[in-house]
Formats: sequence, structure tokens, C-alpha cells
Amino acid sequence: MSDRELLPTATGRRTAAAVGELLRPRRLLAFSAFGVLTAATGVGLLTAPLLGHIVDLVDEGSTDFTVPVVLLVVVALARGAGNAWGLALVSRLGESMLASLRERFIERALSQPLERVELAGSGDLTSRVTNDVAVIAKSVREALPELGRSALTIVLTLGGLALLDWRFLLAALLAAPIQLYTVRWYVRRAIPLYAHQRVRDGAQQQQLLDTVGGARTVRAFRLTDEHVERVRGRSQTVVDVTMRAVRLMTRFFSRLNLAEFVGLSAILVAGFVLVGNGTATIGTATAAALYFHSLFNPINAALALVDDAQSAAASLARLVGVADLPTEREPEQAGVPVDASVKAAAVSHAYVTGHDVLRDVDLDIAPEERVALVGASGAGKTTLAKLIAGIHRPTSGSLALGGVALDDLGHAGTRRTVALISQEVHVFAGTLAEDLRLAKPDATDEELRAALAKVGALPWVDALPDGLSTMVGEGAHRLTVTQSQQLALVRLVLADPPIAILDEATAEAGSAGAKVLEKAAAKALEGRTGLVVAHRLTQAAAADRIVVLDAGKVVETGTHDDLVAANGRYAALWAAWSDQRTR
Amino acid sequence: MLPTGRSILRDAVSGQRRLLARAAFLGSVHQGGEALVPVIVGLVIDQAVSTGSVGALLRWIVVLAVVFGALSMSYRFAARAAERASEQAAHGLRMRLAQRVLDPRGGAEAGRLPGALVNIATGDAKRVGVVNTVLPFAVAGFVGLLVSAVSLLRISVPLGLLVLLGTPPLLWLTHLVGKPLERRSSVEQERAAHASGVAADLVSGLRVLKGIGAEAAAVARYRRTSQDSLAATLRAARAHAGHDGAILALTGIFIAVVALVGAHLAANGSITVGELVAAVGLAQFLLGPFQIFAWVNGQLAQGRASAERVASVLAAPPAVTSGSGAPSGNCPGRLSLRGVTHGSLDSLDLDVEPGELLGVVAPDPAAASHLLDCLGREADPAAGTVELDGVAYTELDPHELRGAVLVAAHDADLFDGSLLDNVVTAGRDVDRALTASAADEVARTLPEGVHTLVAERGRSLSGGQRQRVALARALAADPPVLVVHDPTTAVDAVTEARIAGELREIRQGRTTVLVTTSPALLAVTDRVVVLDGGAVGAQGTHAELVHANPGYRSAVLS
Ligand SMILES: Nc1ncnc2c1ncn2[C@@H]1O[C@H](COP(=O)(O)OP(=O)(O)OP(=O)(O)O)[C@@H](O)[C@H]1O
Ligand SMILES: [Mg+2]
Repeated sequence: MSDRELLPTATGRRTAAAVGELLRPRRLLAFSAFGVLTAATGVGLLTAPLLGHIVDLVDEGSTDFTVPVVLLVVVALARGAGNAWGLALVSRLGESMLASLRERFIERALSQPLERVELAGSGDLTSRVTNDVAVIAKSVREALPELGRSALTIVLTLGGLALLDWRFLLAALLAAPIQLYTVRWYVRRAIPLYAHQRVRDGAQQQQLLDTVGGARTVRAFRLTDEHVERVRGRSQTVVDVTMRAVRLMTRFFSRLNLAEFVGLSAILVAGFVLVGNGTATIGTATAAALYFHSLFNPINAALALVDDAQSAAASLARLVGVADLPTEREPEQAGVPVDASVKAAAVSHAYVTGHDVLRDVDLDIAPEERVALVGASGAGKTTLAKLIAGIHRPTSGSLALGGVALDDLGHAGTRRTVALISQEVHVFAGTLAEDLRLAKPDATDEELRAALAKVGALPWVDALPDGLSTMVGEGAHRLTVTQSQQLALVRLVLADPPIAILDEATAEAGSAGAKVLEKAAAKALEGRTGLVVAHRLTQAAAADRIVVLDAGKVVETGTHDDLVAANGRYAALWAAWSDQRTR
Repeated sequence: MLPTGRSILRDAVSGQRRLLARAAFLGSVHQGGEALVPVIVGLVIDQAVSTGSVGALLRWIVVLAVVFGALSMSYRFAARAAERASEQAAHGLRMRLAQRVLDPRGGAEAGRLPGALVNIATGDAKRVGVVNTVLPFAVAGFVGLLVSAVSLLRISVPLGLLVLLGTPPLLWLTHLVGKPLERRSSVEQERAAHASGVAADLVSGLRVLKGIGAEAAAVARYRRTSQDSLAATLRAARAHAGHDGAILALTGIFIAVVALVGAHLAANGSITVGELVAAVGLAQFLLGPFQIFAWVNGQLAQGRASAERVASVLAAPPAVTSGSGAPSGNCPGRLSLRGVTHGSLDSLDLDVEPGELLGVVAPDPAAASHLLDCLGREADPAAGTVELDGVAYTELDPHELRGAVLVAAHDADLFDGSLLDNVVTAGRDVDRALTASAADEVARTLPEGVHTLVAERGRSLSGGQRQRVALARALAADPPVLVVHDPTTAVDAVTEARIAGELREIRQGRTTVLVTTSPALLAVTDRVVVLDGGAVGAQGTHAELVHANPGYRSAVLS
């Protein structure tokens, strides 16, 4: 969804700094990984001189090669063992860094204001936490060890070359300008291309989530072909963009081959000249050529990592971008609510600038009062509920809970003071107990059962195959809407805030379930200030006071009897409601 | 035949065989060229460096240039072909997965989080595709091996034989070392998939989390999963590192043996010093192909594990059996259920007459959703039959059936796009449907009317607005039989009353089943049946039932 406002992506510099921050606490691990790999690579470099030594022995007419050959075997074993150990250390380093990063990512992602996430589409978040994490994991697993090994080999080999004869080193370095130029050429083109590719990946993810998540609806409305085409379009775009990246990458490698040719020729010519004028032996020229030839693989590997690195950096920037988002601001001195009252003064709100859905709303709720909020569908009830719960910030006007303005209460304080249970049910995947403990992490099984009993959910929970340990949520035991909504009320009881807002928490279940839920809701609201949004007017009639919202404005307020007598909006709603029920 | 991991992998490869053949051929040219480089180095040392001939030096440098040119170009196009093959195979699998999930017979989503399914369609499909990237390189590596063997044979028969005969056991050993990797990597991938599934689940429940301030607890939960996944990954990484180390050691020893034999041959004069250099260079070059084999092995292991997961979705048993029939063209729309037993339905007999507007009241919500599952063919009843116009459901193709019987579930999702896009889907008379569902009112309050984009799953609409748009979509489809479940739970009483009247109007003459407990809707039906204990308990008109049946009154009128 290119027209969505995606979540931020970090700059290259910030990404690098973030990696530094992750590295710092793991310095020791990093040093030991580096040390072990250096040792292993250094040992491996003994292969070429040992082979050169064998050539020299042949040249001298000797026939005893036992010592160098045994040494070659020892070198091979030591190199293998050292590499295995070093690689394991490097993986541990990289993987634990990645784990920290993704955990911080989720932490920040979940603490973002809801609007921000919704603007971007949840596919943006999920694609970051799935695809991008996978890309980085792959680099960490494959590229990082390779990079360490290759870079070390290159440095150490060039050192070896210098020891043989500095003029060989000079010849070898002729390749370097070409390599440097090529890398620069490549990086300039690759960065934007990879960033673009990630955006396309995100769009594909979004589409797949939309389609797979709504599979049942797609089938019912026979939209299969259309949705398959949507997926095809997104997927094909991903293929196309990837192929563009591949073409760029292969051009990059072709240019690197040129560098190899230039360097190798230079070394051969140097050998020719140096052996010709007697300043080097054939053995030395051989060793130099072998050295340089043995550099092909590591140099290519290291430069190829430039490619992986580009790809990983694009993903990393997307993780860091979210991980760096500010958490919601906490006030210096968080206010403490003095009671459980709610006060909204001149509150207005617009989701889309210029399109107000709430206008100058004033609302006062006394502690432990039960207020019903009613009005036509689309009047702004849910919006008001969300503003009071601190989930959205009003465009203008002020809100206070227990006499403390929401801003002074802070994020954490607001969460402790008010809970919002909406008509949207989501049962979290996992066991039932795990789901409930999201509301109160340290709750004992006994507390869970007590909360379940309070809203009347215990009987059916006990009847589940594994009771509290039953796997629920998508892909597991499917709860009915009534049950799911009861769970939401159980979570409310467990979270135990002084103020609770129920936004049609009883509506989804149909009237049969609604009655069960109404009873449960009344139980769950005991001892709390309650704002209840309800289309089921029996619930409104039972409230202490009713507030009627119409087109974003409070148009009436009073008790049921007052409002019915006043013959206004509420009376009309009540008439329609009771008309159907008194025939 | 049901797909298996093996067949998925085979199809992914054989579907791209032309590209793969091209990649393998060009890749072989590349590896052959790479193998020739040390040979040429040996020749330069023999014919130029040790003789001092400038002509020979120039000649061989030109040859070197040609070889480099060839190997460079061949690599370029080999890699492109291989990558294309990989991407196309992954794309193909993605499409097959999407089609399977959306298959009219259903069944693929059972037991899987949408996030996990999406992960299979992206990550796993990709890993299977990657097999196509690595296979040509395996072939090419083999060719490189062959070229060096031939060069070695030309230098000396014993040396050549040594390499030729020594390689297979070496390959076998690397395979043996790679074996345990497969298991580890499969566990690791599972954990990773689980972790990203949990992440996706938390993200989609974000609103609920925010409502009760459970963000911190959710983060703690994700952290545990992430740490689990980390532990599995580290175990796999250690296995990988051991594998790589073992291969390095094996190749090093192999080179030592080649050097030993070569040195003896050079010492007794059967090869020159230059040839010894070439032989050692070739042995060193052999590291390349061997590393390629190790890499290929690792990728294949991952590819196999992923192919298994892809296959498990593709081979998921369908939720319903499918016939091949289609409902007749001018379908009268008579539904009859005979002895249907499914979930909380117990030998339910129910007839819906053509053109009838029937209300079904299910005091037990589970019974309602089980009835809907059966009518919409999300599930086959354990016993009994459902018939449309006298034809058993099981004889009909579910896709065709849904053209005649549309079941609009209560929690039906809206899709990405504008309000109108969502209603138009199969729509005939869209305007009328918008009016009948009072969705025209919705459009009037939105900034851009019917062209306003609805956010993911319609979340930028209010609950009642979303419900009305979903109802408009169902009405616009105008099917011969429409089954609607609680379409007005989030709508105010006045609007609901309006919808009830319009609904009767727009469905005039076509069969409609309203599964609901809303008295406003039930009041406009021709007949109401009450499900009791999974079977029909009472029936009559709404007015009769209200009058005569206290159970009904308490279920509906409160
Ligand atoms: N996330 C959003 N983005 C843009 N507009 C929104 C968003 N949420 C709600 N709206 C709009 O704000 C208005 C008020 O919506 P709200 O959800 O507050 O209504 P409501 O009174 O709760 O209605 P209902 O009874 O149907 O739930 C509606 O016109 C709706 O389209
Ligand atoms: Mg609402």
C-alpha cells in the first residue's frame, strides 16, 4: 500500500549507531569471537608457504616431504576446529544482538499510539517483525561469519605477500582501486533499490494478511479469483524488483572479475621481471601467485557481503526506525487521581483534518456513577470512549480522570486508572491462562478462577478440554463471541482499574448472549465508575444517567424517565426499541 | 495425488528446468574458467618466468584475459537465470498456497495462525525457491571439479586419479556431516515461525492490549518466545559451524595428500615444477567447489524443511467433500435440512420454502454458528444432509453452491479499498443495496462518500457503519438464497427498524434466512423457527410466538 503512511525507517548513520549500542554490552564475546577466528585464519595461511616450501624442496632435489605434509594436515585440522569454534561464537554474538533488537522493536511497536499503527496498516508492522527479522537473521547466520573470516584472510594474506617481497604486494594492490570504485558504484545504486524492495515486500505481506485472514469471507462471496489476482500482482512486483536487484548484483561481480585479472597479471609480470633480474626465486613467484589466487574467493565473498549488507541494512533500518520511536511521554511528576471521576471539557476530535466527528463535548461523571452513552451509529460514541481511555488524543479540549488531566497522569497512570473494553474481540493465541495473564501477569490460578467465576465464565472454562490450559485463539479452540467477550470482562476484573468503559461489550453476541454479558458486565463494573456505550437500551435504562450523542454533539442528558418525557432523540430511540419488544 | 515435501521440491525444480539448464551450463563455463586459471598460472611460470620469454608472457596474459572475460560473462548470466528460476518457483508456490487457502472446500487454515500461513507463503516459499539458485552451482561446481581433474590427468595420471577417486568419499563424508543439520534447521525454522506468529498475533490484538493496558505483559510474552527461538537458533548455528569446520579440515587434508603425491612425482622428474605449482593450485581451487557443495547441502536441507511445511498446507484435508454439480440456473431456492447433526445441532430437520423470509432464533450462539457452518459449507455435518432444491450439498461444487447460497457471517471482513469497492464485489444493484442496508447514510457522513477508503478490515468505520457496509455487500450480491447472521447488532434501534423494512422489500421473492434474536428483524419475517437443544423447538410467526411462547419472549424481547 504505497499510499499508506508507513512507519519510519532509520537513517544509515542511526542504524550503524544502533548496531554499536547492541554490540557494546557484548564486547567480550565479540573480542573472543574475533580472536578465535583470527587465530584460525592465521593458521590457515600457513598452507601456501608450506606448499611453497615443498616446491623449494623439490627444486633442491630432496625427497623427504614428511614434515611439511604432516604440518599441512595439522594446519587443516587446527583451521577446521578453530573455524568451527569461531563461527559458533560469531553466531552467538549476532543472534543475541538480533534477539535484543526484535524484542525492543516489539516493545516500541506495541507502545505506539494506535492511530500511527493503523495509518501504516498492520502489515507494515508484521512484515517488519517477520520478513525483515528473517533477512537480518540470514545475514547474521551466513554473512557475518563469512565476513569475519574473509576480511581476516585478506588482511593476513596481503601481509604474507608483503613478507615475500613488497613489490608483489604493490602489484596485487593494483586491483584495489578497481574494487573500491566498483563497490562505490554498486552501493549508490543498491541502497535505494533494496529500500524499494522492502516496501514492496511489505505490500505483499499486507495483501496476504488481508486475504488469508479473510479467507472465509473471500470464499463466501466467491472472491477467490479476485484475491488470487491481488496476491499475484503483489507477488509479481516483488519478483520484478528482486530481479532488478539481481541484475545490478551480477554487474557488480563482473566488474570484480576485472580486478582479479588485473591483479593476477600484475603479479605474474612482477614475478617475470623479478625472477629475470634475479631478485626473487621461482618458489617466491609461485607462492605470490598462489597467495593472490587464493585471495579470489575471500575477496569475492567479502565484497559479495556488501550485497548482503545492503539488503540487511535496509531491513535493519526498518527495525531501528520503529525501535527508536519515542515511547509515549511520561510527565515528570505523574499526578495521582483523587477519586474515580471523569471530566471532559469542550472536547473535539477529527480523524481526518477538517472532518470533525466530535464537537465541543462536555461530560462529567461522578465516582462510581454509571453513565450510558447512546446515539445513532456513527455519532461518535466509540471515539469519545477512546479519548477518555487515553487511546487517542483529542484534537482540542481537555480530559481529566480523578481530577488529573490525562497529560499529567501519563501513559502508565492512565492505563492503571481506566480500561476500555470494546466490541472488538481478540482472543490471543496461546493458553487461556496466558491470555488472561496479559491483564495481570502475576495472577495465580486461583485469582484467575475467581475472576472467571465473578463474570460467570467459570462453568464453561471448566468444561473446556484442558480447562485453563486449553489452547485458544486463532488456529486453536474457537470460542464463541459471548465467551470471547466474557474473557474481555475477566481481563477487566483482573486489571482492576477504578474507571471502566464498555463500548458495546455486549452487542456482538446477539440478544441471547447479550443477556449473559449484561449480567457479567454489571458484575465486572461493581465498585467502578462506568461509562457504558449501548445500543441495547435496556442497559441504558438501568444506568444512573444517560447521555445522548448525535453527529458528534451531546444533545441530551438526564435519567431515562426524564429523557423519555422530554420526547427528544432518546425518546425516539426508546420508542423504536420498545416498540419491537412490546407487541 | 497429495503434495509431499519431496514433490513440492521436485515441482519447484522441474517447473524451471529451462532456466536451470541455462544456469547450469553457463555456471559450468564459469567454473571451468576458474579451474583453468591455476593451470595458466603454472604455464606462465614454466614457459615465461623460468625461460624469460617476453613473447610467451604476453601470449599467456592474453589467454588469461580471454578466460577471465568468458568466466565473468558466463557467471553474470548464469546467476540471473538461477535467480529468476528461484523467484519464479517461489512465486508459483505463493500462488498455489493462496489458491489452496482460498479453495472453496476450505480446510487449509485449520490449526494455523494467519500470520504463520503468511510466513509460509513468504519465507518458506522463498527457501524452497532458493533450491533453484543453488542447484546450477552444484552442477557447475561438479564441472569445475571435472576440469581440474582432467587438467590433473594431463599433468599426471596418478595425480588425476587421486583427485577423481578421492572426491566421492569426500563428498559422501560432507553429506554425512550435513545430515544432522536438517533436523536442527527444521526445529529452528519452526521456532522462528512461531515467534513471528506470536508477534503478528499481538500486533493484531493491539487494540485489546491498549484497552486494558497490557502492552508490557505482551512484550514480556514476546520476549519469552523470542528467547526460545534464540536458543533453538543457537543450537542450529553450532551445528552449522561444526559442519563448516569439518569440511574445511577435510579439504585441507585432501590438499596435503595431493601435495605429497605431486611432490614425489616432481622429485622423480615425471612432472615439472610448473606442473607441481599447477597441481597445488588446482587442489587449492578445489576448495571452491567443495565449499559450494557444503553451501548447496545446507540450502537443500533448509529447502526440504520448508517444502515440508508448504506441503502440509497444500495437502491439508478439505473441510468439506466436493461434488461437481452446479445449482440449476433459475434456482428456486428451497433449502432442506434432514437429520443434521453437527456440533450443537442434533438431528435438525428444517425446510425453507422458495421465496420465504425465515427467521431462525438460536438461544445458544454455538448452534447458530454451527448452522451457518453447515449452510455455508465451512463444514460437513457429522450426520444428515443439507439439500438445495432437492440436490444434496455434497453433490455440488462448493464454489458453485455459494453462487446460489450466500452465507454472510456475522464477523465477515471488509477488504482493502473504498466503501464502494467492498460492496461492488459481486454486486448487481449496488445503489439499492446501499439504501436497503442504510449504508447510504454511512457514505453521507464520510469525508469522500462511497469513495472513502476503509482502513484495514474496515477499521476506520464505526462498528455500526462497518456492519451496514457488510450487509450492503451481501444484499448487492443478490443471491437466490441469502443467509444472514445478526446483521444489526451494532446498529441503533431507529436504523435497525429501517433496515428491517428495507430488507423485506429488497429480498422480495427470494429465499432469505435471518439467524438473529433481534425482534425488529424477526417481526418482518414470514415465519420463525426456534432452535432448542439443537433441533426445531417451536415455530410460527413472530407475533404468534411472542404471544404464546414465554421461552421465545425471554430469548427475544429483553
Ligand atoms: N480510525 C478512524 N479513522 C477515520 N474515521 C473514523 C475512525 N474511526 C471512526 N471514524 C469515523 O468517526 C465517526 C464516529 O465513529 P464512532 O466509531 O465514534 O461512532 P459510534 O458512535 O461508535 O458508532 P457505532 O454505534 O456504529 O459504533 C464515524 O463517521 C466514523 O466513520
Ligand atoms: Mg462504536
